[in-house]
Parts: sequence; C-alpha cells; structure tokens
Amino acid sequence: MVEVFAVASGKGGTGKTTSTVALGMALSDRYDVTVVDADTGMANLLFHAGLSDAETTLHDVLADEAPVEAATYDRFGLTVVPCGTSLDGFRDADPDRLRDVVAALAEDTDIILLDSPPALDSRTSVLPIVLADRIVVVLQPTIPAISDGLKVQEYATTYDTDVAGLLFNKVRESESIEQVSEKTERYFDGPTLAAVPESERAREARRAGRPLLAHAPECEAATAYRAAAESLTVRDGAAADAADRFQSAVIPESL
Amino acid sequence: MKLPHGRLDKSRVVTDPRDTLADVLDRELTGYAVFESQETLLLDGEGRGVMTFTDGVPVLVYHTGTDRGGPPALADLAVPGPYHVSLYTLDAADLESAHEAADLRVPPGMPAERLGGDPALADSTRRAAPDERLSAMGDGDATAPDDGTADQSAVEAFLDDAEKIEAIKQQARSEARERAQEWDF
Repeated sequence: MVEVFAVASGKGGTGKTTSTVALGMALSDRYDVTVVDADTGMANLLFHAGLSDAETTLHDVLADEAPVEAATYDRFGLTVVPCGTSLDGFRDADPDRLRDVVAALAEDTDIILLDSPPALDSRTSVLPIVLADRIVVVLQPTIPAISDGLKVQEYATTYDTDVAGLLFNKVRESESIEQVSEKTERYFDGPTLAAVPESERAREARRAGRPLLAHAPECEAATAYRAAAESLTVRDGAAADAADRFQSAVIPESL
Repeated sequence: MKLPHGRLDKSRVVTDPRDTLADVLDRELTGYAVFESQETLLLDGEGRGVMTFTDGVPVLVYHTGTDRGGPPALADLAVPGPYHVSLYTLDAADLESAHEAADLRVPPGMPAERLGGDPALADSTRRAAPDERLSAMGDGDATAPDDGTADQSAVEAFLDDAEKIEAIKQQARSEARERAQEWDF
C-alpha cells in the first residue's frame, strides 16, 4: 500500500513544512511514513527535523550523484528525505528525477508526504502536485491564502490529483474559523481536516530544530495535527504497480 | 467616495498588494492608493479599489466596481494580481472630510491581514496607528466598523462571492491546461 500526498499551499509562510512533519508524525502511529522535501529551491525540512548537518540530500540524488537510500534518514519515527539549501545543489538537480525518487521510495513505505514549493509558477514547483495521488492544502484564514489555495486545487484536479482535505493553520482566536472553514469547504473538493491554532510552541520547536510533535506533543496545535491525521482516510494503493504509477505519472490525455 | 486630487507619488505594477502596504507604512504616506487589477477576465477586475492612508496607516477602503466600502471592499479588491497601483499624496487636512465616512472605514491592520496575508505587517501597522483608531475598532482583526452594518469579516465577504471564486477557479484551470503543454508534462 502506498499513497502519496503533496502538502501544498499557494503562498509561503503558511507553516507548510511544520504541517508536513506534524502530519507525518501523527500518521506514523498507524503507518510507515516517508517525508520528502520537494521544495528543492527553498528547502527547510532539514531544519525542522534536526538534519541541518545531513551530508547527502535530495539535491545529490536529483543530480544523479547518490542513490536515494543515501539521502534517507530515520528521525522521530519517520523516514526523512531532506533537501539541501545550496544554490549549486539546486542548479545541478534535475527535477524530473523526482519521479524516480518517489517511485523508489514507494516500494517500501505506506505514505509519502511531499513538502511542496509554495508556488505554481514553474514546472519544478508544480511537479510534486502532479506526482501525488492527493493534496493536502494548507491555508490561513486570509483572502490571499484561500485564493491561492483555490488555485493549487484547480491545478491539482486539472492534473488528475485529488484533494484529501484542508488544513487551516496559524489560526488566531479572533478569527471566526468555524464560519470561515464552513464557507471555504463549499469551494474545495475535500473537507477541513483541522484548524491549528497559532502557536508559540511551533516557533520554539522550529528554533530548536525539532518537530512540533516531539517538542510539545501535548500542546493545542499538536493535538489539532493529530486530529487532522485521524480524519485523513488513507487509500489503499496498488502496491505492485506503485513504481510504474509514478514513473508514468503524466497529465491525463483529455488535455 | 469623494477625494481631492492628490499629487502622483508612484505608479507601478505589483504582484502582491502586501508590497504596496509595506511601502506606504515605511514611508508614512498620507494620501491614497488606487488599485487596478490587470485581470480583466474577472468581473470585479473592471472596478478600481481606493484606499486612503494617514501616516502610512489605512483608513478607508472603497471599490468603484461594486460600490462597496469598508471590509467588504477589501474582499472586492482581492482578485488575482498583478495590480497596477498608483500612490497619491495629500495633506492630512484634505482628507479630513472624506475620513468622516464611517461606513468606509477599516480597522488599521485589516488590509495587511486580509489583503496582504501578512499578520506581522498587520501588527506593525497597528503599532503605528493612533490609539483612538484601535480603541474605536477593537484590536483591528475581524471586527467591522462600529455601526454594525458590515460586521461580516472581509474573508467571509470574499467567500460569499461565489461568482468571483468561480472566476478565480476557472482562470486557474485554463492556466493549468496551457502550462501543461508549455511544461511538457
């Protein structure tokens, strides 16, 4: 069984990486989870997972200088594939190899979470959404974030990728999140998985280079992430053809 | 909304209205900005959004296409960029009578929060706002002007505009289809 989720948002600053790692850790109670930093131009998963010293990263794999196994690390109950932060690494990386990376990882895990770039303006930034089975859209309850989230959804569904759900993040008490999420759901193809409150704990965790669920597992935000993971129904993919599936992931012919 | 003609300070195309709000706050501009969406496919793209400022802090918002003011006008302004933005300066005294229009007022931090999507910029804007503007309107988050005519937040007003959202979605779909060929997926 494998299902690939792209954790996506149209805009930066929504807490996408924090959300990817937190969802991954919450799902790892029930599943074998692999988290990949697919934001190859602005990587930061490594800083969230205590891997800032990682010697081999996705950049090396995408540059065909290392096998994917060399860039996988076991941290916090997850398999983590961090990406490097150097410009040279980005320049030498061939984004198309991401297909092969996903296909290789798919053979040996239940869930792959792709931390995706917060943009839709290039082939590289859209590829994770194309490769994924479904997307989790990370939103803030603001007009630009929702409007960009809608665009992400339309790109995804145009490319035959479904919507697993919405995750409202950094929600402040003053924001009437129930009404906003109810109205937002009218326009999205997936339900609200959770509303995660703005959290000082999340900032602390990021500064400490630890995932939120390891740093403050009992805080309100961590609890919300666990609820999100709980409400995410993972679909049984066809394990046998997983590799084929991702190697041939292309835009539907109807386009 | 009637405003005296200001002196043109800057006229440029921006992709994110946040940049304009940050620039105006940095320079403590008193005057107004006219936002015009470059996206003519969208219905509301036909109108223009006008926002006034005192010392860089937003005061009034009005949309010429929908004839709405205050927080709902922020929702009208929220169409995909880029925008053509013109900034005009005025003397504070010239804005006084326009600024009496309570139904067009927005809380100081709301444009940065709702239009710019930047809570940190909203905080800086609130810090720059005079105390009476904060106390008159709560802390400036989702609350609308005191008269209660528009107590719906700008986000909810945006979400109530099904037609505009459908237009945003349609535009994204056609972009996605065009780019699929360009990117050779």
